[in-house]
Formats: sequence, structure tokens, C-alpha cells
Amino acid sequence: MNYMNLFRYWRTVLTVAEMSIRQQLNDGFILFAIVFQPMIIAVLGLFILRDKGSDYAMFVVVGSGLTGLWSSLLFVSGNSINVERWIGTLESLVGMPTPFDVIVFGKNLANVFQSLLSMVVSYILAAYLFGYTLSLTQPFLFVATLFLSMFAFICFGLTIAPIFVMYRSVQQWQNAMEFPVYILCGFLFPIALLPGWTTPVSYLLPPYWAALALHGTSTAMMPFEQIAFCWGMMILFSIVDLVIASQLFRVMLYKARVDATLDVD
Amino acid sequence: MNTISKNLQLFWQGTLLSYKALFAWLRPVTYMASKVLMPLAQMFFFAFLGSFASDGKNVDFYVIGNAIQITAVSGIFGVTMSVGGDRDAGTLPYLFGTPSNRFMIFFGRAFMHIIDGAIGVVIALTWGVLLMGLDLSQTNLPALGVTILITTFSTCGLGLLMGCLSLITANVMFVNNFVYFSLLVFSGANVPIASLPAWMQAVSNALPLTRGIASARALAAGATLGDVTPLLVSEIGIGLLYGFLGYVLFAWFEIQAKRRGTLETV
Repeated sequence: MNYMNLFRYWRTVLTVAEMSIRQQLNDGFILFAIVFQPMIIAVLGLFILRDKGSDYAMFVVVGSGLTGLWSSLLFVSGNSINVERWIGTLESLVGMPTPFDVIVFGKNLANVFQSLLSMVVSYILAAYLFGYTLSLTQPFLFVATLFLSMFAFICFGLTIAPIFVMYRSVQQWQNAMEFPVYILCGFLFPIALLPGWTTPVSYLLPPYWAALALHGTSTAMMPFEQIAFCWGMMILFSIVDLVIASQLFRVMLYKARVDATLDVD
Repeated sequence: MNTISKNLQLFWQGTLLSYKALFAWLRPVTYMASKVLMPLAQMFFFAFLGSFASDGKNVDFYVIGNAIQITAVSGIFGVTMSVGGDRDAGTLPYLFGTPSNRFMIFFGRAFMHIIDGAIGVVIALTWGVLLMGLDLSQTNLPALGVTILITTFSTCGLGLLMGCLSLITANVMFVNNFVYFSLLVFSGANVPIASLPAWMQAVSNALPLTRGIASARALAAGATLGDVTPLLVSEIGIGLLYGFLGYVLFAWFEIQAKRRGTLETV
């Protein structure tokens, strides 16, 4: 991916994002993934963790919001290219002068942005239905972490989408990838509960660093050094993801233009 | 006698073909991902969450609840897709054009999913024993087997009703997902029913799975089949009620669709 394209085509990115949001908010499955599923997980989390005290309500709000972010990334961003293939617009998008990765970036931006709704819904649920008093321990750092997390999720999504298009055998595991990431990234419980051998796997997942920093800035007084380290890891993984994504898009566009096999089911 | 034999043949063929049709497009790996790994990961997620909540003291509660809840993967998604699949595949007009026994056609759609769902639960419980330390040493295993079969049966009853709804709504997956995830809250898989608000308890009592999960937990704690028989009888009753409601809706849908010419318009 040519990173300068993101600045050069910023209007395209925003237009694609706007179009995607308008389109997707009419889709029942997407609404379920970003509103209802996180809401149900929040209800479960609030019931299950209620003996831990009211401090955990904010932990559940952030954690269930993260589940919405991941589910949206996996199912919506993951299929952001596939969707174009299914409706027959992929060739047109690949053939137009605007770089294709810019379009997919815009779609991922929309997905991740609208997924923040899951956190808002969980917050409303915890505050008004369960009556918890919710406050962020480090609000400014939380907001900064949220922006970085969004960027890390978008970049992660950029690697997933072309993989799902080119390697259908990987996409077949899509349904099975949802809950393992909830577990490995510590969205609703610390990964210290898991067997030790899973820890390195968690460290390799950008959502883990996002969850660690978001929980740290919302429910605990995480020292700034630790927050900065999580930010660093998210930036590092974002760069790595962008590099991987650029290679994947190169291969995918080659297949589309030279092999003409992209649309073959 | 001839009619009975033909109807049984129809039931079996419908059962087998609808199940094959549902999974024929899938490779074994997709089946593994959707029917084995996804439910197991879900079970582990809630088991770890429960372990975190109870400081590791109450893991069995979550493992058993979520293992039994796995029946809903087959019961809700599988059965709904089998019933609704006829509309998606364009075979509904042919189906309604035949003089075949509708009862056999309809209930045949669920049969394989009962077996499939029960196997899923057994796999989940096995992993629960091996990885989460689920203790079934006090359990009457044949009674647990009966509980699993009955719970899967009753959940498929709800699936048949949902399947009929899939014939008249465009947002099938939304409805299915919503019911599936709601069962995680209302069935008692993750939250003790007694600790839910009164209105939620009322909903729980009207759903399949609730009594099946309670029965499985009681058996794991050393209860006998006789102890859980009232729960299991109620579970069968609830399954039959949902299945019957589904059948009534199916019959109504056929009449309305034929009368108005709206077979595939949704």
C-alpha cells in the first residue's frame, strides 16, 4: 500500500466510508454484529461479573464494545472485498484509477467507526438499565487510545480482507475465529487465566494491545509508560499490517488483472 | 399400512436430503469450523469468564450450561436453514405442489439436526472434562444422554418455528442470531435463573433448553433420572409446543402463499 495515497485520496476514503455506513446500517446482520451481539454479551458480562463490584461495569462496557469491534472487523471488514465480488462490482473497482486499497481502507474505516456504537450501546445499558455509575479513570488517554485502536483495527482488517478473497480455505474458518480472539485478547477477562502457551499468541494480536490499553485507561490507573508501550505495539503492528496488506493487495490485483481469476468462485 | 410405509419413507428421504442439501456445499473443514470449533470457543469464552467471576470455583456451572446450549447451533441455525433452504433454493413451489404429507416433510427437516446437535454436546462435554476439569464422576451418564437428546429435540422444536418465520421474513440471519444469543442469557446457561429479574425468569420458563440445562446440572451433581424426570417431561412438552406452532405456521404459510401467489416474494 502506498501510504501517501491515504492523504492524496482522503476525499475518496471519506466518501467510501460514508457510503459504506449508509449501506450497512440497513443490513440486519451488521446491525446484529455491532449492536445486539455486544449488547447481549454486555448483559451476560454484567450479570456474571456483578459480584466483582461496580468497578467491573466499565470493564464490561469496554470489553463488550471490543467484541463488537472484532466481530465487525472479522465478518464485515473481512468480507469487504468479497462483498464486491458477490455483487459483481469487484472488476469495476479494480479497473478504476483510484487505488483499490484506498477504497478498502475507507470501507474498513466505516466498519470500525460504526462498531464504536457497540461501546455506546453497552455504556447506555450498564448506566441506565443496570444503574451503574460509570466514569473513565483517564478520559484523555482513553480517547487517544481509542483512536489508535481504531487505526490498528483498520490496518488489521486490511490484511484479513485480501486473505479471505484469495485463500478461501482460510475464510472457511471465519466463524471459528470470533470467540478465540475474544479469549486471547482478554476482552472480558485477563489472559492470565489462560494456559501459559497462549500468551505469545495474544501478544501477536493487535486487539490484545488495544484491549489492554483501553481497559487500563478506563478502569485502572495504568502508568503512562505502560500505556505508551501499548500504543507503541499498536503502531508497530499497524505498520507491519500495512506492509503485509500492500503485498497481499499486489498479489490480489495481479490475479485480478493478469490471471483474471478473482471472480471465479 | 401402505400409507404409513410411504410416509415413513418420505420422512426419511426428506430428513436425509435436506441435511445433505444443507451441508453438501460445505467441506468437512467448514463443518468443523462452524459446528465444532465455533461452539467450543464460545463455551471456553464463557467458562473462562465464569471462572474469572467466581475465582475458579464455579467453572462446571458454565461448562455444562454452555455445552448443552450448543444444541442451539443445530436446533436454531441448522433446522431454520433446512426449512428456509427450500425458499432460497427455489424448491418451495415444487414442494407445495406435491401431494406429500406435510407433517412428515416438516418434521423430517429437524430429525438429523437432533442427532447432529446431540453429538455436538457430547464433543463439548468431552472437551470440558479434558480441558476445563469438568467433573462427571457422580453423573448418571445414560440419564445425561437422555437429557441431551431431549434438550436437542426441544430446541429443534423452536428451530422449526424459526424456520417457518424464515419463510416470511427477509432478515433470517438477524432473527436466528438474536434468538441464539438470547438463549445464552435466558436459558440459564450463564446466569442462574433465580438471579434474573422476574420478567426474565418468565421468559426463561417459556423457552426450551432452560430445563434441559437445569437437568444436566442436577445430573452432574449426582441426581438420578427419576429426580430430573419432571424437568425432562416439561422440556419435551415445550419442544412439542414449539414444533406444533411451527407446523401450524407452515400450513398457514402454504395456504396464504397459494392463495395470494406469494410463494417466493419475501
